[in-house]
Amino acid sequence: MKENKLPTYHHELAKYFKTEKHHQFSTNFFTHAENYEVWDEIDFSNLEEVDGENTFTIKAEDLTFYAEGCLDDNPYMTNEEFAKKSSYGGLVPHPLFTTTICFWCVGTKGKGNWIRTPGARNPGQYIEYYEDFKVGETIHIKLRPYDRYEKRGKYYLQYKINLYNQDNVLKASTISTLILPRTRDDIRRFLEGIRGLQD
Amino acid sequence: MEMISFESVKTGTVLPPVVHTVNQETFWKNAVASFDYNPVHNDPEWVKTAMPFKIPKTVGHGMMTMSFMTSVVTNWAVPAMLRIRKITSKFTKPVEQEWTITCTGVISEKHYITTGKNFVVIDVKAENQNKELVALEQVEVVFPD
Repeated sequence: MKENKLPTYHHELAKYFKTEKHHQFSTNFFTHAENYEVWDEIDFSNLEEVDGENTFTIKAEDLTFYAEGCLDDNPYMTNEEFAKKSSYGGLVPHPLFTTTICFWCVGTKGKGNWIRTPGARNPGQYIEYYEDFKVGETIHIKLRPYDRYEKRGKYYLQYKINLYNQDNVLKASTISTLILPRTRDDIRRFLEGIRGLQD
Repeated sequence: MEMISFESVKTGTVLPPVVHTVNQETFWKNAVASFDYNPVHNDPEWVKTAMPFKIPKTVGHGMMTMSFMTSVVTNWAVPAMLRIRKITSKFTKPVEQEWTITCTGVISEKHYITTGKNFVVIDVKAENQNKELVALEQVEVVFPD
């Protein structure tokens, strides 16, 4: 998953690496970006769910670092010993930990890789939760195109992403939305450091 | 654990705010936490010309702001063993470095369904130091009792 060609700010990011996965995941979203799915090329005639590229086995360090990374010091999320003694019996994930799982599982080459598009903007999100994620679970995702629309000169793309554990229990579901560059040429402009949005 | 019963909850109740001042280090740490390494949040050089948000500087992750807003709810709900069921968010303004983001939440709706399925809706908003709205969120919280 890691790439050799690193952006110049990688060393700044690397100062925060704490977990095993941090060292495995490439910080370079430009890699393979020319091949990311593009707004005007997504095939909406095929709405079949596909598997994500990777699975995510949850460790305590993954949960505690997510909370730290969003500046949340809630002891149920950051203090494993405290959480174990509570009625939860273990760490409680910050609800937005689904973000971490999705970026990990989508990967670089498969469907849904458009969430990594340089220049993409986040207009808002929708997430449903069915069960808390737990340390030790191995999460996989299934995703499919959900909607694609134009609004006030912006191009929105949505995928439905379902998150399951190793027993195929549905843990959470999201409708991931981004405003994207419309064409592959627009993405190429962004890769060259030129604004690739029309609005 | 401070248990909260559905009966005791009143609409209009304001939850304690969550306040954070953010900078590039905050964006980088959030990127590492979320694996969202989009250069618009992380690359001060690229964004000078690429300007996805029409400004020549990095901006915070929308999911960072959404996390801040959600923490208003989890600070209240998690110790009481209440379950978050659904979150809907909308981002209205990109968050810039050195901004102070204040997230406030109010219990806006109380849904009487049946034991174990009763829930409340909490409206959360995030504003910068100039009281400009940067994001909105609605969170559904289910009561076990």
